[in-house]
Amino acid sequence: MNMNTNGAAPMLDLQDVAMHFKSRGRGFHTTTVRALDGVSLTLDRGETIAIVGESGCGKTTLGRVSLRLLEPTAGRVLFDNVDITQVKESNLKGFRRRAQGIFQDPFTSLDPYMTIRQIVEEPLIIHGVGSASERLERVQWALDEVRMRPAADFLDRFPHLLSGGQRQRVGIARALTLTPEYILADEPVSMIDASSRAEILALLSELQERYRIGYLYITHDIATARHFAPTAAVMYLGRVVEQGPTVDLINNPLHPYTQGLLNAVPEPDPANRLAERPVLPGEAPSPANVPSGCRFHPRCPVFMEGLCDVVEPPLVQVEPDRTVECHLYGAEGKERVGRDTGKSVSGDAEIV
Amino acid sequence: MRPGEALRVVLRSGSGRMGIGLLAVLVFVSLLVPFFYPLDFGLRFWNNPIAWADNPKAAPPAWTNLVGDQAPSHRVFDAESPSQTVETGPATTRLYSFTFDHESESPPTFLSVSVGEVTFYDRPPVISMTLERPDGRAATILQEVVRGQRPDETPPVTRFADEPRRIYLTGDTNSLTATSDFLQREFDLRLTEAELQGNLETALFGTPTGNEAAEFTPLTGEYTATIRVITYDARDSVESVRFVAAGGVFGLMGTDTQGRNLATGLMFGFPVALIIGISTSVAATILGTFFGILSGFSGGRTDTIIQRLADVMTNIPLLPILIFLIFVLGQKLWLVMTILVIFGWPGLTIILRSMVLQVRSGQLVEATQALGASRWRIMFRHVFFQMAPFIVAQMIFFTPAAILAEAGLSFLGLGDPSLPTWGQILEQGFRTGAIFIGYWWWILPPGILIVITAMTFVLLALAMEPVLNPRLRETAS
Repeated sequence: MNMNTNGAAPMLDLQDVAMHFKSRGRGFHTTTVRALDGVSLTLDRGETIAIVGESGCGKTTLGRVSLRLLEPTAGRVLFDNVDITQVKESNLKGFRRRAQGIFQDPFTSLDPYMTIRQIVEEPLIIHGVGSASERLERVQWALDEVRMRPAADFLDRFPHLLSGGQRQRVGIARALTLTPEYILADEPVSMIDASSRAEILALLSELQERYRIGYLYITHDIATARHFAPTAAVMYLGRVVEQGPTVDLINNPLHPYTQGLLNAVPEPDPANRLAERPVLPGEAPSPANVPSGCRFHPRCPVFMEGLCDVVEPPLVQVEPDRTVECHLYGAEGKERVGRDTGKSVSGDAEIV
Repeated sequence: MRPGEALRVVLRSGSGRMGIGLLAVLVFVSLLVPFFYPLDFGLRFWNNPIAWADNPKAAPPAWTNLVGDQAPSHRVFDAESPSQTVETGPATTRLYSFTFDHESESPPTFLSVSVGEVTFYDRPPVISMTLERPDGRAATILQEVVRGQRPDETPPVTRFADEPRRIYLTGDTNSLTATSDFLQREFDLRLTEAELQGNLETALFGTPTGNEAAEFTPLTGEYTATIRVITYDARDSVESVRFVAAGGVFGLMGTDTQGRNLATGLMFGFPVALIIGISTSVAATILGTFFGILSGFSGGRTDTIIQRLADVMTNIPLLPILIFLIFVLGQKLWLVMTILVIFGWPGLTIILRSMVLQVRSGQLVEATQALGASRWRIMFRHVFFQMAPFIVAQMIFFTPAAILAEAGLSFLGLGDPSLPTWGQILEQGFRTGAIFIGYWWWILPPGILIVITAMTFVLLALAMEPVLNPRLRETAS
């Protein structure tokens, strides 16, 4: 079991979680989609971990498993030392009360047929909290916390009368009414106007400070991760390939995939407008057909034949708080790199 | 969309305004009916020939007199007390006189006299009727003695208590004989009863032309029918007397060949049609919605079972099953409605399931699950409301289907006799050959009412379209 700095068990502890979806193919053939393939993560109260990756890498599936919206095929999800994958849905009320979610699309995650008051009140009703007047007070408190002020002005409105940013605040207020310890934030700002993004993220940080909430921040936008999450994990095809402090990860990416991902971030510097940028070749393979060995090897610019396509890369602890899953840093890989002088660890990526 | 907003959108279109207007009329008439009709109207009146005996048969509506030939109007005279009482010794003669203007060229279609409850102590009373004509001649065409005391009876003797004694003069042989005597006495015209048969009113309300034996010129003017009841004891009593000179036209909607007032039957059809349509569609929609959402949301075995069941139901031909079950279980309206509900839900279930599948994978369901909401709460507090406009439109659309199905069954002669419906009126007209004889007032109104009622709901469903599909919504000007 992973121990955190206090020596106590972490709040959320994902251990070797796998999520395989079976889908029926042609005839009697079934294909297995390996959305998650052995992911381990820990999250403590007051902490934020960003999960970064391309679409289809399994980051949303990871978030859904962490809220037990999906039951993982293998592995354990410990919340406060209780494996929530083994608890029946009917006995899950305690967990549901302490863990909440904020979702990507504030236009579809709020019921268009409910008023703001009904939406924010719903978790209280579900969990049987307080009397009607106490609940109303709580709703007003939550709306006030997300700076929907004055709260009374919003109570009887419907979501379609609000802007995207306001709707997402309502989504946050809904998650906040039960004062949870853990909030899954699944791309909470990706569908919001750039102008409101920083505000929403600042609000989330503020709430974290005040209520010691642990965030699992799922994003494809490495730039917001840098501002919002001190720690980040990069996912590729259902696995965490690199994890560490976000700033280090961006300044000194170790995994060739992380390097490629960072290279793809546009830079608002006119001096770069003619510069050719190394881009990862091809697209991520389907998780229904995961490549052998290192799953990144078909696109890897520093692919080592006979090793990367055969042997699964080891998990290497590069620094006390940094891990990377790549042969370049494994014993066998280092040996090969030493022999082959033509390539370096941070060698230039192939240009397409 | 909120209900108020939806109503505004519906009212913005012409079809919506028309649909709501027609619906208001249908509902208004339906609400009036329970105030004026007994609940057993179908059995006690509609399908009881005695109730309609004094109405003219197959008479067109009275307003047809506005154009074409003048048919005599229908005259019914009721009296509870005599207009004159004459005492001669122990006998008392009660005179009931009814005077009326006969202006039509055609004679009344029939004459009848009814006498209510009669009580006597000694000798049975004698009933007679004399018709005084505008030319001063009088014909006594009825003379009858109330049936006397039987050996096992003790005075006072009561007769005609359950049902009035009704003498249908037109078909009465004694009346024919009396009329024959009258013609011979007054006009020296010899006609046998057989020759008079069917011409009784023509003879009584006309003067012989002298050319042909049974030819009469109509005699218009003031006629007086006097009914005499002679009793022989002071304690004897007669409850009521009625005289009918049946017209050639009747009421607002005319009558059928049984003399039934079509207006009353058509009126009664309003609430029946609405009840059939609305309750059937509401029940089928509730079932369809429940199974559709359950099927789409649960998935797995529940889904498979519901969908296969729905497939089986939709593939069973409805009409033969209805006919078969009605033959086996009897002509009951509730049976028809139950079968329509049982076979009505699967269509909605299949459509809703596919809609729910789409919503189920959406973020709203995921977000609500994360809050800890139960499956039922998600299904019926969230998913249901996403589909509600569609469900309401489906419900409206199913209403005319149910009304038409009942009308169709009634037309096949499988209607419930205890509840007259428009389909039944249409069927009776059709079976009697009203179409070929030209009794249009019997065929057109029920047909038109069925069409209008079905159209009301189709118009409403059309007007609901923009509510469902915002792209069809006209931009507010």
